[in-house]
Amino acid sequence: MVHVGDGPRALRASAILELRQLSRSRVLVVFTVLEALTFLVLVSLFGLTGSRAPTALVDDDHSPLAASLVTYLERAHHSFQLRPMTAATARRQLASGQLVAAVTIPAGFGNDVAAGRTVVLPVDVDNVDVDLTDDIQRAVPSALAAFGRANGFPGVRVVAAERDLIAHDTGFIPYLVVSALALDALVVAGVLGALAVAREFEAGMVTQWHLAPVGAGWLLAGKLLASALVSTVAVGVAAGVVFAGYGVTPVHAFSTLASLVLCVGIFTCVGAAAGALLRRSLPVAALFFGLALPLYIDSGALEPERFDGNAIWAVAHASPVYFAVGALEDAVHGLRVTPEPPLADAAILLLWAAVAVVIASAVLSRRVAVR
Amino acid sequence: MPAHPDADPGAILALRSVSQRFGPRLALDAFSLTVARGRVIGLLGPNGAGKTTVINAAAGLQRPTDGCVEWEGEALPFPFPARVRGRIGVVAQDTALYDELTAAENLRFAADLFNVPSPKHRVADVLALVGLDDRARDRVSTLSGGMRRRLTFARALVHDPDLLVLDEPTLAVDIDNRHAIWGHVRRLRREGKTVLLSTNYLDEAEALCDEVVALRDGRVVAVGSPADLVRTAGRCVEIDCDDDVVADVRRRLEVLGPAARVEASGGGLTVHVPADATAETVATAALGTGAVRGVRVRAPDMVEVLEALGSGARG
Repeated sequence: MVHVGDGPRALRASAILELRQLSRSRVLVVFTVLEALTFLVLVSLFGLTGSRAPTALVDDDHSPLAASLVTYLERAHHSFQLRPMTAATARRQLASGQLVAAVTIPAGFGNDVAAGRTVVLPVDVDNVDVDLTDDIQRAVPSALAAFGRANGFPGVRVVAAERDLIAHDTGFIPYLVVSALALDALVVAGVLGALAVAREFEAGMVTQWHLAPVGAGWLLAGKLLASALVSTVAVGVAAGVVFAGYGVTPVHAFSTLASLVLCVGIFTCVGAAAGALLRRSLPVAALFFGLALPLYIDSGALEPERFDGNAIWAVAHASPVYFAVGALEDAVHGLRVTPEPPLADAAILLLWAAVAVVIASAVLSRRVAVR
Repeated sequence: MPAHPDADPGAILALRSVSQRFGPRLALDAFSLTVARGRVIGLLGPNGAGKTTVINAAAGLQRPTDGCVEWEGEALPFPFPARVRGRIGVVAQDTALYDELTAAENLRFAADLFNVPSPKHRVADVLALVGLDDRARDRVSTLSGGMRRRLTFARALVHDPDLLVLDEPTLAVDIDNRHAIWGHVRRLRREGKTVLLSTNYLDEAEALCDEVVALRDGRVVAVGSPADLVRTAGRCVEIDCDDDVVADVRRRLEVLGPAARVEASGGGLTVHVPADATAETVATAALGTGAVRGVRVRAPDMVEVLEALGSGARG
C-alpha cells in the first residue's frame, strides 16, 4: 500500500540527501571553510598594507625634543609604522623596497629648534604609488604641528578638538573583518546554495522531482536548509576567528548571531536562484567569485558607502551585500553604516531571499529535464 | 474532475486525442490509448516516432498541447496530483542517479519521498529483486551502465506503483542485463501489475507485451498483439546471390505477383512476403533459378513490420 508522501518528510529526506552529497565531497567542504578564512586574510592584508606602512626613523640627534617629535610622528597618522634604524640601513631598505619612507631627524635638531631656528627635516619617499606619497605629505606636517603646539612654539594658533559621533572608535581591520563576514556569507552560502540546485540539473534528477508526490518547494527547501547549515558552520568558523583571533567583541551578541544566520540564509537562496538559472556548477563558481569583490567593495565594506558619492551609493543598493554589511556592522560594532535602519536592512535582505526562492522554485517547476 | 463518459472501468490510464507540438513540429497527432489494469502495453516505433512523447504525457512529465490524460476515468491536470504521482513508477531513458550516493541511499531517498512504510526493508527487497543486493553499499559511480539501469528500475518499483511506465528500459544495455530486465517485467506481469513501455525492439515487444501500439511520425500505425502484428507483417526471405544474377532472380520472382515486395540488399535480395503468402513458395522459386547460393526465411524486424503495415517508416 502506498502512502502519498507529505511535505515535511520530503523536506527531511531532501536535507539528508544534500548532507550526504556534501559529506561525499569533503574536499569541497574543506575548501569552503578555508575560503571563508582566506577572505579574512584578504581584507586583513588589505588593511595592513594601508595602515602599517613601514617607515624608517633615523634619529641623528637623540635629544629630548627629538624624542618628543618621534612621539608625535607615531601619533600623526595611522599609516605609519616607525622603525628606528641607522641612515645607511634606511637607504638600503628604501632602495630595496622594504620601506615606504625614511624620516631623518638631523643632528642638532633639538638645539636648533630650542633656539628658534628653522630645521629642515629630510623625508625620503618611495613614490612608487602616489598614495604612499600622499600619506607622508599629510602625516609629517600634522605631526610637526602637534609637536610645535605641545612644546609651546610660537606660530601654532589652532588646535583641533575632535568630537566623536560614536562613543567608541573602531579599528580599520576590525571594521574590515566584520564586513568580510558578509563577503563570506555571499560566496560560501551562494556557491553551496547554487551547487545544491545546479547539481540536480547536471545529474538529470529534476525529472525525479517532478515524479515525486510532493511539491518541488519541499525538496528545494530541504536541500537549501542542509546547504545553509554547512555554510553556517563555515561562516561560523570565520566569525570565531574574528571574535577570538582579532579580539572583536560583538556589541549585540544575539543580533550578531541572527545577522550571520540571516545572511547565510539569504545568500543560500540567492545561490539557489543562480543555480536554477545557470543549471551548471562551473558557471556558478565563476559567477560568485566574479561578483564577490565588486559587490564587496561597493557595499560599504571598506567604509560607509555614502562617503563615496550618491551615484555609487545608489548602485550599492542593488546589491544584497550592502544590506548585509549594514546589518553586521550594526550588530557587531554598533555602527550605522547605512542610512537605512538595521531592521530595514534585515527586511530588505528577507525580501531578497523571498524573491530568490520564488525564482528558484519557478525555474524548477517549469524546467522539466525530459522534453 | 468527473469521469469521462467513454471511460473504460477497467482502464487505469487513458490518453485521449493527445497531441504534442514542439514549435512547428507535431510530435504526436491525436494519439489515444487505453491502458487496462494488469496489462503490459508496448509502444513500438523507430526513433522520433513519438514514443517518449507518449511516455512523458502518461507519466505527467509533459503537458500535452491538446487532449487529456485520465487516471481511472478522471481527467488529470498537469502536473498530476500527488495522489496519482504516488501510484506511478517511471523509468526514464536516462539513468539519472546520485553518483556520489550508494545504490541503497538512492533508493532510500526515493522511498522517503514516496513515504514508503518500512523503507529500509523495502529498499533491500527491491535491490534483491533487481539483483543488486550485493552492491547495495557501493556508490553508484562504481556501477556499470546495466546495473545503473536496473537500479533505476528498482527506484521506480520502490513505492510499489500501480502503473509502471518504462521508456526504452533496455536501451544501451548488454544482453545479460536486457534479459534481467525482461525477467523483472515478466514477474510484474505475473503479479498483475500494469506496465506501459516503449521500445525500439520488436523482439522485446513480443517477449513482454500483451498489446502493442505501433507508432510512426506521431501517428498510430497499428494496434494489436505482438503476434498479430508480426503475422500481419508477414515474413522476409533473404536470397543470397551474386550481383550479376540479381536482375535475373528478381525477374523470375515477379511471377509471384505484386504482393511479394522485392528489394535489393547487399549481396542479394530481400523479399517481403505478405501474411497470406508462404515464404516457402518464394524460397522454392528462388532456388529454382539455379543462380542462388542460399535462402533464409526470417521474421521481419521492426522497420519492416512498420513498412508492411503500410507506414513506409524508416528507423
